[in-house]
Amino acid sequence: MYSICLPQSFGLFHKGRGLGDSKPSMVTYDSGENHSEIPRKGFFSRYLFSTDHKTIGLQYLWLALFSVFLGMMMSLVMRIHLVWPGAHLPFFSALGNTPEGYALLRLLHGSLMVFLVLTAAPQAGFGNYFLPLQIGAREMAFPKLNLFSFWATVASVFGMTGAFLMAPQKGITLWIAGVSIFCAAALCSALNFAVTTIDLRTKGMTLPRLPLTVWAWFLNAILGMLVFSILLAACLCLLSDRFFSTHFFSAVDFLASQPASAAPDALPALWQRLFWFFAQAEVYLAMLPCFGIVSHLIATFSRKPVWKERLVVLALCGVGLVGFCVWGQHMFSSGMNPFSPMVFSVLASSLGLPASILLISWFVTLWDARIRFNTSLLFALGFISLFLSGGLSGIFLARHDLGSGAVTEDFVTGHFHLVMGVAATFAILAALFFWFPKLFGRRLNEFLGKLHFWLTFAGVYVVFMPMHWLGLVSHLAKSRGASLAAIAAWVGPTRSFITVGIVLTVFAQGIFLINFLWSVFRGEKVEECNPWRATTLEWSVSSPPPADKLGAWEAVVYRGAYEFGLPGLAEDFIPQNVAPDRVVKAN
Amino acid sequence: MPGATATPDIELIIEDSHGGGGGIRPPGGGDDGDDGERGKHQPDRRPSPRRFSTGIAIGMLSILMFFMALASAFLLLHHSSRVWVAVRLPRILWANTAVLLGSSFTLERARLRLSQGDVSGFRKLWFVTTVMGLLFVTGQLVAWRELVNQGVYVASNQASSFFYIFTGAHGVHLLGGVVALLFVLLRNFEKSQISRSLAAEITSYYWHFMDGLWIFLFALLYLSR
Repeated sequence: MYSICLPQSFGLFHKGRGLGDSKPSMVTYDSGENHSEIPRKGFFSRYLFSTDHKTIGLQYLWLALFSVFLGMMMSLVMRIHLVWPGAHLPFFSALGNTPEGYALLRLLHGSLMVFLVLTAAPQAGFGNYFLPLQIGAREMAFPKLNLFSFWATVASVFGMTGAFLMAPQKGITLWIAGVSIFCAAALCSALNFAVTTIDLRTKGMTLPRLPLTVWAWFLNAILGMLVFSILLAACLCLLSDRFFSTHFFSAVDFLASQPASAAPDALPALWQRLFWFFAQAEVYLAMLPCFGIVSHLIATFSRKPVWKERLVVLALCGVGLVGFCVWGQHMFSSGMNPFSPMVFSVLASSLGLPASILLISWFVTLWDARIRFNTSLLFALGFISLFLSGGLSGIFLARHDLGSGAVTEDFVTGHFHLVMGVAATFAILAALFFWFPKLFGRRLNEFLGKLHFWLTFAGVYVVFMPMHWLGLVSHLAKSRGASLAAIAAWVGPTRSFITVGIVLTVFAQGIFLINFLWSVFRGEKVEECNPWRATTLEWSVSSPPPADKLGAWEAVVYRGAYEFGLPGLAEDFIPQNVAPDRVVKAN
Repeated sequence: MPGATATPDIELIIEDSHGGGGGIRPPGGGDDGDDGERGKHQPDRRPSPRRFSTGIAIGMLSILMFFMALASAFLLLHHSSRVWVAVRLPRILWANTAVLLGSSFTLERARLRLSQGDVSGFRKLWFVTTVMGLLFVTGQLVAWRELVNQGVYVASNQASSFFYIFTGAHGVHLLGGVVALLFVLLRNFEKSQISRSLAAEITSYYWHFMDGLWIFLFALLYLSR
C-alpha cells in the first residue's frame, strides 16, 4: 500500500512519460499552471550548467566513475612496473620509465582516488542528489554556489591531470593550484550541505527524525568546512613559496647561505602538521557518509529499525570530533614533542569507541532479521568486513610505540587501502545499487552485480592482506640487518602474487562497467517509486524524479526514518510522510 | 511487489499534507518578520532567507579555521626558527585599526537608524562605513609601501612573509565585506529575495568578524615582535 508512492498521483510527474492519467481531485492539490510554464531548456542549461541538485549530483557521480577507472589503470601500471620493471607499458613508457614518472603516477593515482572518488562520490554525488530529497527540500540552499562547486571541481581535475603532462617542477605547481581549487570547491559544497540541512528541512523533519544518511552528510560538511580551509591555507602558503619565494616551507635556498647551526628542523614539520591536520580528517571525511549509508541500507534490508539510532548519531559525531584531533598520529617519527605521540596515540585509539558502537549497531540490526540478500546489502556487508579488517590493523598503527617502528610502506598501504579506499568504494557501490532505481528508473542486473561483488571481495583481500604481511616481514628482516637482496628474494614472489591479484580484480571491474552502462540504457524498468519498500522521503517521488523543481511536492514528516517491522500493521514499514491516522492496520 | 494493494488512503494523505503534524516551521516564508514588507508574495516555495545568515555563520567558521592554520604556522615557526627577524610594524597600522573599529561603530549606528525607519540616515551612515572600510584597505597598502621602502619584502624573511600574508589575506576577505556593504547600499530591495534589514544584519556579522579577526592578527604580530 505504501509501496505506491504518493506523488505518482500528481499529474506533473508523469507528463511526457506516458503515465499522466491522474485523477482530477488530485490535480486540484497541484497548482498545475506553475509547472506547465516551465520553459523547455536547452542542452546546456539542462545538463551542463543546471543548478538542479539532482543533475549536479549525477555529474559528480559520472566524474567519480571516470576518475575511479583512470585511477585504477594507474595502480595497474604501477604494480606491473613494480614486479616487471622491464615491461613496456603504454602509459608508463610515455613518461620515460623514470622514477619521477613513477612518483607522479602515484601522486595522481592518490589525488584522483582520494579527492574525486572517495571524497566526492559519497558526499557530493549521492549527497547532492539525495540530501534535499530526504529532508523534503526542493533544492540546495545555494544552487548557484553548487554549480560553481561542481565546475571548480572539474577545473581542479584538469589541474591535477594536467600536472601529469608537464615538466615536474611546473607540474607540481599546477597540481598544488588544482588542489587549492578543489579545496575552494569543497568548502562551497560543504557550506551548501550544512545550510541546507539546518534551514531547509520540511515540516515535521525534526533532528531526531533525520535519516542517518543526512546526519552523516551534515556532520561531514561541518568537518569539511573546518579541514579544507586548513589545506587551502597550507596550499596557498606553498604556492606563495613557489611564486613569491616566501619561506614558509622552502627555506632551503635561504638557509643555504646561513650558518649550519640554523638547520631548518621545524620546516618540514610545519608542512606535515598542516597537511596531516587535513589529511587524517580527510579519512573520516570519506568514511562518514559511508557509515551513514551503510546504517541506512542495513536497516532497510533487514526490515528492522537501526539499533540505538541516537547512539549511532552520537558515534558519528564522535568520529568527526576525534577525527579532527588526531593529526599527530602520522608524525610519530617526525621529531615532535616526545609527550605528544602519547596523546595522539590515546586519541587515535579512542576512535575505536565510536567505531565499535557503529559495528555493534550494524550487527544487532542484522541479528535475527529477515535479510534480503541483494547486491546492495552484499556490498554493505562487504564494507563492514573490510572496515573491520582494516580497522584492526589501524590499532597497531595508532600505538605510537608500534606505529613509529612498524611504519613500513607496504603495511600502511595495505591498511589504508582496506579501511579507506576499498571499504569506502564498497559503500559507494552499495549506495549505487540501492539508489540506482531512483537515479535512472531502472535496476542494475542482480546476477552481474553479485558476480562482481564476489570477485571484487575476494580480489581486494587477495591484494591487500598480503601487503600487511609484506610490510611486517620486510621490517623484521631489515631490523635484523638482513641485506636488501635477501629481503627482495623473500618479498618478490609475494609482490608477483599481489600483482596478479590486482590484474584479475581490475578485470572484474569490467563486469561492473558493463552492468552499469547497460542498465542505464537497457536495464529492467522500475515503474514503482519505492521498489525497496523504504521509509525515507526520496522514495515518495517518481523514479527518476522530474528534472525541474518538484512542483507541488511538499512532504510533511510524521515519524522517524526507520519505522520497520512494527506489529499489528498491514505492511512491515511506514514511510516518514504517512500521518498517524493514515496508518493501515492489519486485518 | 507482494501485497501492494492500492488504497484510497493515499489521496487522503495528499490532501492532508498541508495540515498539522510535525513540529518545526514550514520551509518557506513567515520567518522572523524581516520579510513582512513583502506579504503579497506567493505561498513561497523558495527556501527561507534564514539560509543566508546560517551560511555566513558557517562560512565565518571556515574563514576562522583558515586564519588559525596560518596563525599556528606563525607561532610554530616563530618559536622554532633560528632565522626569525621580526618585522617593525608601521605606525599607520594603529590608525588603520582605529578606522576599522570606527567603521564597526558607524555600521551599528546605521542599523539602528534602519530599525527606526530612517532609511536616508541609514544610507548616510552606511556610506560612511563603506568609505572607512576602503580607507582601511588603503591604509594597509600604505603600510606595505612603508615596509617596502624599508627594504622589507615578502620574501625577505619568514616574519615578513607572514606579515604580508596575514595582511593580504585579511585585506582580500575585507574587500569581500566592502562588496557586501556596497551591495546593501546600492541594491534595490523591492524585488530581492531578502529584505534590506536582513541583508544589513548579515553584512554586519561579517564586518564585525573581519574587525575582530584584524584585532587578533594585529595582536599576534604586535606581541611577537
